[in-house]
Amino acid sequence: MEGFLFWVCGSLMFLGGLMMVVQRNAVVSAVWLIFSFVCAAGIYALLAAPFLAVLQVLVYAGAIMVLFLFVIMMLQGPVLEGERVYLRKWLWPAVALPPGAIALMLVGWLRSEGFQSLGTVANPDFGSPEAVSRLLLGKYLLAFELISIVLLVAIIGALAVGKAERKMPWK
Amino acid sequence: MEITLTHYLLLAAAVFLTGMVGFVVRRNAIVMLMCIELMLCAVNIVFAAFSRVHGDGGGHVFVLMNFAVAAAEAAIGLAILVEIFRRRRTVNVDELKALME
Repeated sequence: MEGFLFWVCGSLMFLGGLMMVVQRNAVVSAVWLIFSFVCAAGIYALLAAPFLAVLQVLVYAGAIMVLFLFVIMMLQGPVLEGERVYLRKWLWPAVALPPGAIALMLVGWLRSEGFQSLGTVANPDFGSPEAVSRLLLGKYLLAFELISIVLLVAIIGALAVGKAERKMPWK
Repeated sequence: MEITLTHYLLLAAAVFLTGMVGFVVRRNAIVMLMCIELMLCAVNIVFAAFSRVHGDGGGHVFVLMNFAVAAAEAAIGLAILVEIFRRRRTVNVDELKALME
């Protein structure tokens, strides 16, 4: 059963990503990406991370992608005129090198580790909201506080960029 | 056939590569930002998979950190894009080369 769900969620997630890249219409791209993120939530559920699965749907497929769709609708219409589908010659090595490097790394991993089993989850509480929160507000408290600063800087930055020419209170 | 850690790693690599190739191939700046989101999502799957193997919740915590980073990146990137569009009336990265000239 787990194998079946993995193949369904995984292949649909990959298909969603692929369709996002291939589609020329940005709105269609965004909807395929939402599809891909929902399938990723299924993958999290398979990996014994139900809390992450819920957050993936809430934060990614909900909040972030709605922001993207909103901006696409606000700007110049979904299809970008004159978007080239071909690449200049000097870009091809740049496109081919990183996938090649990652493929090499994967072959190295397969040769050294093989198909390593996931094992069983010892703790029945693993991945629950309570377990994640205990770590988040305990062992990783410093990282949690620092990420809040990142978010604060992002809020201030987005406000400052969005109002660049208009009157700001500190000008 | 049993689903192993390697399956999840291969899936994450495939999704990451899709995002990476899309980022280079596409010229629409909004779609390029979406490709970055896809790559971050692939990284999150690797975090969750290794967290599951080691039975340590630390990976889950860092997936949450990644969510925050992705949200911050989307907010700033889209704010910059809207501002660029107000001035230049385009989001095609081929036409935005003020720094190249």
